[in-house]
Amino acid sequence: MPEILNNRNVFSLSEVTGSIRKILSERYSSAFWVKAEMNKLNLYKQSGHCYPELLQKEKGKIIAQFKAILWNDDYNHINNRFLTILKEPLKDGIKILFLARITFDAVHGLSLHILDIDPSFTLGDLEREKQETITRLRDDGLFYRNKQIKLPLLPQRIAIISVETSKGYADFLKVIEDNPWGYRFFHMLFPTILQGDRAIEGIIAQLQNVKKVKQHFDAVAIIRGGGGDVGLSYFNNYVLASAVSLFPLPVLTGIGHATNETVLEMISHTNAITPSKLAEFLIQKIHDFSVPVQDATEKIIQQTERLLSNERNRFQSETKLFRSVTENILIRNSNIISELSSVFAQQALFRFRNENASLTTFGNEVRKGIANLVLSKKQELNHFGLIVRKDLGGQLSRNRLVLQQQLKLLIIASAVRFRREDFLHIQLHAKLQSGLPSHFKNNMLELNAIERNIINLSPERVLERGYSITMLNGKAIKDVAQVCDGDLLVTVLNQGKIESIVKTTDN
Amino acid sequence: MNKELNYTKAFNELQEIVSEIEKGEISVDRLSEKVKRAALLIRICKTKLTNTEEDVNKILKELDSATNGSE
Repeated sequence: MPEILNNRNVFSLSEVTGSIRKILSERYSSAFWVKAEMNKLNLYKQSGHCYPELLQKEKGKIIAQFKAILWNDDYNHINNRFLTILKEPLKDGIKILFLARITFDAVHGLSLHILDIDPSFTLGDLEREKQETITRLRDDGLFYRNKQIKLPLLPQRIAIISVETSKGYADFLKVIEDNPWGYRFFHMLFPTILQGDRAIEGIIAQLQNVKKVKQHFDAVAIIRGGGGDVGLSYFNNYVLASAVSLFPLPVLTGIGHATNETVLEMISHTNAITPSKLAEFLIQKIHDFSVPVQDATEKIIQQTERLLSNERNRFQSETKLFRSVTENILIRNSNIISELSSVFAQQALFRFRNENASLTTFGNEVRKGIANLVLSKKQELNHFGLIVRKDLGGQLSRNRLVLQQQLKLLIIASAVRFRREDFLHIQLHAKLQSGLPSHFKNNMLELNAIERNIINLSPERVLERGYSITMLNGKAIKDVAQVCDGDLLVTVLNQGKIESIVKTTDN
Repeated sequence: MNKELNYTKAFNELQEIVSEIEKGEISVDRLSEKVKRAALLIRICKTKLTNTEEDVNKILKELDSATNGSE
């Protein structure tokens, strides 16, 4: 009860708090549903009680704030349901729809006593947040940014962001270290926690470290495994996702979980469903390099051998062909030659025999012809001889007649002359008495000489002296132009005739 | 980066040689030269597969100096 002090009603503090509590408990007799952002969970590990800090923001400004109480048992119950449904524990920074009662404690003051939290509301909110992150990344052009970076042909040098003691890290190392092909990887751990909201800054900090030495690495692997599906919602965080998107090296993710793909996995260069699968992906990449190299080695050996053996075969068959062709040509030519030589020999023999026979025949004919010719020429000569003799006889007698006539004429002329001379002599008797007899005597001598000459001029006498008459066709030849080569000439001698054939003429 | 270009180049050149040799585009005259080249490229590629030439301590040292330098 209040006491009166200097005419004033004065209440003790407990009376005030008691009054407030009384009024509040009357006014807020039942529990009611409230939605708010749980800024901090404020879990006290020892007691297991939570004293969440609740907020309402509008345009980034806090417009309402309230303390809350979540007792140990309620917390455990609610947290388990969250883990089942959301795969997330109750944690800072989530929006919650909760059943609460207003309580007022004389010592601790006014607070909301949380009796229950509806996980589906938070789930929807987280999902919305994830969608917002995706939209924002797309809007900022970051969604495919890291995927566009070219993974080196041989991603052998890996910066690993993981927890040293995690099973996922161990699984990853086991696969890449124990690969049976002896592929060599270089890996270096950049350790960080991967649980809860602090993971975001941890990962970002390690990404910054890797960036400083990025020339030593081909890719970054964010590996998480063995931690169950809980506490992955930070992988949907925009800040983390954008840091990964913008990272200058390809970021690979191997986060073992069964829930929907997180944003980080969506935007990473390559996502494998587990750390082991991520390691296998890298080994496959090395295979993709190694197998063609091995194939190339075999192919080059095979093809080279094939090429060489083809070439050798070609050469051999060319040589063979050349040999057989040249042999054929040689054989053919030698056949032709031997054929020709035998034909030649036969022909020569044949011709020789023929010629021999015809020569013999010809010889006989010539012999016969000559004999005939000789015979006919002999007859001809005889005949000619007769003619010549007759002709000569005629001519001689004619000549004799001529001579006798000439002699007569001469005698007459001489007598005439004589008479004339005699007359002249008589006339000139006195003058020429001594000269006349010698003149006469001289004339007589002259006559005698003429007579001798005439006798000497007769053909018989001419022939007798060794001259001959050459005749062609019964006529005497006086000019070499009358005869031709091959003409048959008859030479009449004093005794007999000669028949001869003109060989050459000389003019 | 240079080293990486080298093995990437080697790999690509090797593929070219294989394709050429498979298509029969290489004459016997140039075969020896090409095979020698291919052997060199294969050696570069295979060496790369079993070697990384990176050193954790060196990287840590670089990281330290980079961190100190930026602070």
